[in-house]
Amino acid sequence: MPHYIGVIIDDRRMEKIKGTPLEREIKDMFGGALKMIAVPVPEDKSKEILKAFDKARIDSRGYIEDIPIALRRAVFEEMVKNKSLNIIDKVLARLPEIQEAAKKEDEFIPPPEVE
Amino acid sequence: MPMLRMPPPHGGRLVDRVVKNKNRAEKIAAGCPRFELKATLDPKGVPIRHVYREIMSICYGFFSPLEGSMVRDELERVLKERRLLSEWIFPFPILFDVSEDDYKALGVKEGDRLLLTLKGQPFATLDIEEIYRIDPKDVAVRTFGTPEKNPEVVRQPFDDKHPGYLIYRCHQPVIFAGKYTIINEPKFKEPYDRFWFPPAKCRDVIKNVKKWRTVIAHQTRNVPHVGHEMLMKCAAFTGDIEPCSGILVNAIIGAKRRGDYPDEAILEGHEAVNKYGYIKPERHIVTMTLWDMRYGNPIESLLHGIIRQNLGCTHHMFGRDHAAVGEYYDMYATQILWSKGIPSFGFDAPPHEVDYGLKILPQNMGEFWYCPKCGEIAYSETCGHSKERQKFSGSFIRGLVSEGIYPPNVIFRPEVYKVIVKWWKVYGYPFVNNKYLKLKAQELEVDVPKLELPKG
Repeated sequence: MPHYIGVIIDDRRMEKIKGTPLEREIKDMFGGALKMIAVPVPEDKSKEILKAFDKARIDSRGYIEDIPIALRRAVFEEMVKNKSLNIIDKVLARLPEIQEAAKKEDEFIPPPEVE
Repeated sequence: MPMLRMPPPHGGRLVDRVVKNKNRAEKIAAGCPRFELKATLDPKGVPIRHVYREIMSICYGFFSPLEGSMVRDELERVLKERRLLSEWIFPFPILFDVSEDDYKALGVKEGDRLLLTLKGQPFATLDIEEIYRIDPKDVAVRTFGTPEKNPEVVRQPFDDKHPGYLIYRCHQPVIFAGKYTIINEPKFKEPYDRFWFPPAKCRDVIKNVKKWRTVIAHQTRNVPHVGHEMLMKCAAFTGDIEPCSGILVNAIIGAKRRGDYPDEAILEGHEAVNKYGYIKPERHIVTMTLWDMRYGNPIESLLHGIIRQNLGCTHHMFGRDHAAVGEYYDMYATQILWSKGIPSFGFDAPPHEVDYGLKILPQNMGEFWYCPKCGEIAYSETCGHSKERQKFSGSFIRGLVSEGIYPPNVIFRPEVYKVIVKWWKVYGYPFVNNKYLKLKAQELEVDVPKLELPKG
């Protein structure tokens, strides 16, 4: 059974996938208050992700959570580049770079500007 | 159904071991050998506990009837039956632990009084009744149980990834047992000062200010999302002839696991729920207890019952995975304890149905999710669309927050989210990380006033 990485699609991300086949993959969450694309991750690849990031875990919905922001960003970037959800191998090829970025995330994450 | 009233404190009376008279304090502590309290560190040097929090919770009565660090027989009784030597239920070992080196340097013996200093100032005394040694790993294993000995609820062996297990595993081996007395009251810093309602004061506020007859307690170590808010609102329909008059949020303040929210955000997040009317302040109060959370699910729920009964609550809500981390316990372990007991932990019946047990009443709750078909937040035991459910997954929400995505109203109230961002800006991080734990262990929630003690 595959697991999933959920990528939230906000307005900025929506701009980048508008008109592509990815648009059809968007699911509504919480009554349409959030939009998300669930990227399937075969079980052997999800094991690789859990091994690479010690805080990562599979939640009760089968989603891989507590993963670095850098990993989620890489998933989105590869989705856009390849216009497909079949991109986990490409993401895993970037693991060293993602792990490096993730280390910095343990210390500092820039806060958003909120009115 | 009889009308419920505020239950008595656990053990019959509230412990009050805080000396407010300066002359008396000086007499108690003069000439005692001094020991500066320090944080318990994990193997990587990260602070995971500070014993001052236990001393505060004991002396101000949160842990009544416990009055100090446990003697060996009491420790054994707690580990075997979760009872004090006085018979009253108590779940966790509470120990004043020092290293062999510190023990040697202090040169104290049974019968001595030790002055405990905090931030360099006299804070409390410990009357040493007994000195003994523990095997910290053995205490850690027996505190939380094993799949072999506690098959009803323990699903996997505990290890260093479990923050509570790690706290006991990292205890020092020499134990000084005896009663604590606070001789110099610490002063809480902002924002903690607004939420400090020790049991005697809390009971007074409930009776005379809020004028609540029944109160349901909500345990929290989280900034409240809307699922938590619904849990509070719906659980509060419990009561007797009418729903509970009040909801008492009691946040556990202390070192937490990485990924939880900073304490300040937890407290102010809950405060925002009543400040902005999502639950009106006439029916809601936010309080705190100092304790480095052990994440002990059913075992932790016993301590929660004790604390909240001492605070004056008539009911306690318990959800799925109560005070849990990982999958060490059955996700319903706490609800099993409070509905039929866990014999291997010493409970043939629920803790409120045994002698010397608790008087607070449990309200075991299912979970709340968003149901797209109902178009609303629904209760798991009511909503028939479990396939369509969208859960308030804590890890999903953490992911959303850390990506800086503004969460919709159906997940976080905007005012609550702003609290998260406020403290994120202070610490450069939205969650507990090693940097926060180190800073917290250094700064603590309190300052200790200067106090000169006469020599000898």
